[in-house]
Amino acid sequence: MTTNKLSLQQVSKAYGYVDALHPTDLNVAESEFVTLLGPSGSGKTTLLKIIAGMERPSGGRVFINGRDTTETPVRERDLGMVFQNYALMPHLSVFDNVAFPLKVRKTGAEEIRRKVGEALGTVQLAHLADRKPQALSGGQQQRVSIARAIVYNPSLVLMDEPLGALDKKLREQLQHEIKQLHERLGITILYVTHDQQEAMSMSDRIALMNEGRIEQLGAPRELYFSPKTAFAADFLGNSNFIEATVSEVSAAATRCRLSGGEELLAPRRDGVRQGDAVRLMVRPEHIRLIGGDGAAEDNVLTASSLGPTFFGDALEIRAQIADGSEVSVKVANNFEVAAAAPGQPLRLGWSSDHTHLFASGSGR
Amino acid sequence: MRFLTKNLSLPVIVTWLIYVFLLVPSLVVIPISFGTSNELVFPPQDWGLDLYRRALDPAEGWLAAAGRSMVLGILATTIALLMGVPAAYGLSRSRFPGQKALTFMLMSPIFAPTIVVALALYLYFATLGMTGTMAALAMSHAVVITPFILVTTLSGLKHLDRNIENAAMVMGATRLQIFFHVVLPALKGSVLTGGLFAFLLSFDEVIVSWFIARSDQPTLPVKMYSSIQWEISPVLSAISTFLVAITVVGSVVAAFISSAETDGI
Amino acid sequence: MTTPMLRRDGRTRTMLNRLGFGSFVLPLTLFMLLVFCLPLIGVVRTSICDGDCSLVAYVDFATGKLFHRALINTLSIGFVTGLVSVICGYFVAYHLSRMTARRRRFFLVLVMLPFWTSILVKSFAFTVILGTDGIINNALQAVTGTDIVIPMIFNRAGVIIGMAHWLIPFAVFPILSSLLSQDKALRDAAEIMGARPWDIFWKVTFPLSLPGVIAGGLMSSVIGMGSFVTPALLGGRRDMMMANLVDFYVREALDWRMASAIAVILVLIALLILSLAAWLRQRQESGAAA
Repeated sequence: MTTNKLSLQQVSKAYGYVDALHPTDLNVAESEFVTLLGPSGSGKTTLLKIIAGMERPSGGRVFINGRDTTETPVRERDLGMVFQNYALMPHLSVFDNVAFPLKVRKTGAEEIRRKVGEALGTVQLAHLADRKPQALSGGQQQRVSIARAIVYNPSLVLMDEPLGALDKKLREQLQHEIKQLHERLGITILYVTHDQQEAMSMSDRIALMNEGRIEQLGAPRELYFSPKTAFAADFLGNSNFIEATVSEVSAAATRCRLSGGEELLAPRRDGVRQGDAVRLMVRPEHIRLIGGDGAAEDNVLTASSLGPTFFGDALEIRAQIADGSEVSVKVANNFEVAAAAPGQPLRLGWSSDHTHLFASGSGR
Repeated sequence: MRFLTKNLSLPVIVTWLIYVFLLVPSLVVIPISFGTSNELVFPPQDWGLDLYRRALDPAEGWLAAAGRSMVLGILATTIALLMGVPAAYGLSRSRFPGQKALTFMLMSPIFAPTIVVALALYLYFATLGMTGTMAALAMSHAVVITPFILVTTLSGLKHLDRNIENAAMVMGATRLQIFFHVVLPALKGSVLTGGLFAFLLSFDEVIVSWFIARSDQPTLPVKMYSSIQWEISPVLSAISTFLVAITVVGSVVAAFISSAETDGI
Repeated sequence: MTTPMLRRDGRTRTMLNRLGFGSFVLPLTLFMLLVFCLPLIGVVRTSICDGDCSLVAYVDFATGKLFHRALINTLSIGFVTGLVSVICGYFVAYHLSRMTARRRRFFLVLVMLPFWTSILVKSFAFTVILGTDGIINNALQAVTGTDIVIPMIFNRAGVIIGMAHWLIPFAVFPILSSLLSQDKALRDAAEIMGARPWDIFWKVTFPLSLPGVIAGGLMSSVIGMGSFVTPALLGGRRDMMMANLVDFYVREALDWRMASAIAVILVLIALLILSLAAWLRQRQESGAAA
């Protein structure tokens, strides 16, 4: 059995009476890419600071590479870190910035030259070694910062919203580069972001954080397709919520009644009983618009269109259902918009498998 | 951070010694001023208010000198505020060729050796036949203290939201109206602190006054200067305590105003 | 704009309007031209023409032993006090930079207090503290039981102690502002990469604060070189600086030409150092951009 590169056991943090972080467990295996995802104030930055040693946990233990580092000074934790604002030394050249961690470790000059050369080569910046960081673009500076974090082979590389300061195009390109780097070098990365798209495209696993605890931990597909809470469903991807009351619980499914009188089917869920108030969720891309005689899905609602919005790669139609709530539907961009003009009647259909059922009042 | 302070304990000790060095001269005069003997002894053998009685004796001339310095400080500060505050506003809200050079010229009394300024003003007012007049003194002090008004006002202006002025201008206000109704009220704090410090600066100024003032009508610092030069009398400790008290009150009031200002933002 | 009253002085109005905000600067500019620039030009003129016109004062300065000593005193005292002020100022600035803003406000008052205390109060206090019969020597005698006397006043040491006390705050402020402008993430990054506090200070904090150190050092040196009160009150006969010579030539020798020439040379020295500072800053900025 290999040891985890990072292991958190019941780590918590309280500021006065405020619990910034409830007791939390988390393991990160070697060569794994784990993302802490959550809105601001969810505790992800607190957790990162505890791991880095910039904050003391109120309780629990932190293990890095199998070693209890809860009381270890920051500099002895064997971590690399990439900061949102790069944190490059403005008075040092690119080369000297990357050489910094090696120099404080008293590495020999020859080895420094070789390792820095390699690291800069990895991020394709070898030709800019003599420049000062300020002379580089934002994307280049962040690549220098990444080279600096990997040049001394730390056990774990922490990345604190590293792409937050970059524009969209560059962000996507660097996402791709970091992912490639991770696969090629097999480094272990703990990544922090509030951008769900970024988290899903890069991570092996995502720890979704909310109100000081990990709400759900799993692979991106798992979080997207099987969100355990309404918060998880809402935070990752787009979602429609419909309030309903459970009218019947059978072995295979849960039948729910809307206040408008319609009935919808959802998968069975333990602990849900007849009469419970629930929230049903369906993703906009899972809803089809059914023509007058189209094949019926097992869930169908009639609605009145509120009009389409064009997004380039897709078209979103917002519609109002009988209970007054709004539902959005994602359709192909070549959809005939006249059919969705405001006021047009629509029939929305989707599979009960794509319906998620949550206890009412959870999340948000 | 925790272990940093632990490791740097020697530097911490040095730092505290420097604070002590900075504060002791201002504080040591206070106990001495409550002594009674005619010689400077620390700590004093007997305590009393003799030295204050002597300092306040009209025959000694300290009271007249203090009054002169007070009038001079108020005059010079008024001149400096009337010209410095609008100038700072003008400099911060416009771009014109030669602006950098003009700013340098207006600020240069800070950098220029005071002795040179003193000599220049001495020769100048001597040519005009104004040496020793209150007008010459007030103008000379205004030259020395205006740059400080500029600095404090400029830094206050930096914190103002220019969009408020732009909005006023769009609504049809003239530049003068904006200055008086929008900018000045918002600048109250920095103008007040700047004025306070400018007054202290003028009140304590010795070199320019040493050259310009009439020797039979000295300002308070000039009288102190010649007194220290000729015989170090214990009365000086009472005068010094008075000056330290003024400085403390000034600094605390200024710190209070500026903190109220930043808290307000 | 069509009322007759406004039209009458329309010309001045347009001119002021074209100046825009510049017109706010006009009164002070005129005042400074008349009461600062003109007098300074007068000094340059007097240094050459006082009755007759000649460079005799400058020639005297270049050849006179008294002047050489004053020049060397001015430069060396200025340099040493600048150095002492920067070193002491760095400790204070570093201490101030590592505390909460609220606490700093209190400690800044401690720095400001001596800054605003009259230089005469300080000089008087130093004669009481450092004098042969002063607090320190009395304490030393009491402790050692001897009649040891360390001369700390009316000599070079007295001048430097007094001037450093005056100039430390001038060094504190530029150093403090360069320390406060440093991104804390840089120190965090260095620490995570394994740097010890000592490394972090010498490899990150100190190099980044160099602009403040240089500015503070040059500033206090320049101010120190022009000082007049401290050497007169705390120095000995041999510690006469150029400023004291100016005073001597105005009051005792009544030689305005010589006094003016010394003043001109003093200004030139200050200008030289200030332009050195400007050049250093410019080089640094362009170096950072390259």
